[in-house]
Amino acid sequence: MLKGKVALVTGGSRGIGRAIALKLAEQGADVIINFFRRRQAAEQTAKDVESLGVAAKVIKANVGDPEKIDEMFDIIGSSFGRLDIFINNAASGLPRSALDLDAKGWDWTMDINAKAFLLCTQRAVKLMEGRGGKIVTISSLGSYLVLPGYVAIGISKAALEALTRYLAIELAAKGICVNAVAASLVTTEAGMLYTRVAQEQLGEAFPWQTTPAGRLVAPEDIANVVAFLCSEEAFMIRGQIILVDGGTSLVPFSLMSKGG
Amino acid sequence: MSATEETVKDIIVKIVHCDREVLTPTATFQDMKADSLDMVQVLVALEDEFGIEIPDEDAQKFKNFGDFIAYVEAKVAEKGNA
Repeated sequence: MLKGKVALVTGGSRGIGRAIALKLAEQGADVIINFFRRRQAAEQTAKDVESLGVAAKVIKANVGDPEKIDEMFDIIGSSFGRLDIFINNAASGLPRSALDLDAKGWDWTMDINAKAFLLCTQRAVKLMEGRGGKIVTISSLGSYLVLPGYVAIGISKAALEALTRYLAIELAAKGICVNAVAASLVTTEAGMLYTRVAQEQLGEAFPWQTTPAGRLVAPEDIANVVAFLCSEEAFMIRGQIILVDGGTSLVPFSLMSKGG
Repeated sequence: MSATEETVKDIIVKIVHCDREVLTPTATFQDMKADSLDMVQVLVALEDEFGIEIPDEDAQKFKNFGDFIAYVEAKVAEKGNA
């Protein structure tokens, strides 16, 4: 379905990014896997992508650094000459309360989670010009729910979601679809690390041990929706934040552990 | 003390805001009072400064500042020979 398409997944070495890279590859897309800190994991994901019969390329870049974004897109431009799908997945954050969040922590999180989405999209659009394309970003329920130790990431995801809407309209005439997929707690290394931090802050078990759907969200659940948004069937979906949370956001925290 | 070690110390002091004297071979990252963001920023700054790569898979193995310096010096030497 995505045969012949070229896709970039930022933060594609592990977790949700890896699942998306594999899903897009399964559908026939060549995949560029951006990573920041985990080369071995990125190369493993690239190998797994290639085993699905498509091309993979690994590019190291800290998307929090505008110069590194430019270097990454220069490589994509010279290697592929175009881009059809851009998945803004890379994210970072500090487990702090609002009163403990300093300027350095704010900038770090906002640069990687929100500013990178803008700067990468500006470069991606140049490689999509004249042919259209799909842009999907990954958000979380913390953009509007107050979660323990999540303020830095929460505000960055709120900015990201607003930007999703603005970009969707600005890029609509170019045939570029922009949407977001937002999740509750996902069973990734980062998700489990966050759970430990949240439990420390709460002094009790984090209520999101499951969802009304009977299990936590898996990276593949996100990847499936991302792949749909990258398909022509989703052409008329623009600027939406699609929630993949097993119903979590509909149920008050206090009732979650009672199974809804 | 090598020029590499001096540069590493400059970068750590600038990012972590610790005293230079803390950076002895047996000093741990706790001794520097570096949080996880400080550490990532130090690694990224060193990568940019020396044109080397210090993946997390390696960074997780450093026990103290001495280990860390030895690793960075080896990487810089490896790059020089490449």
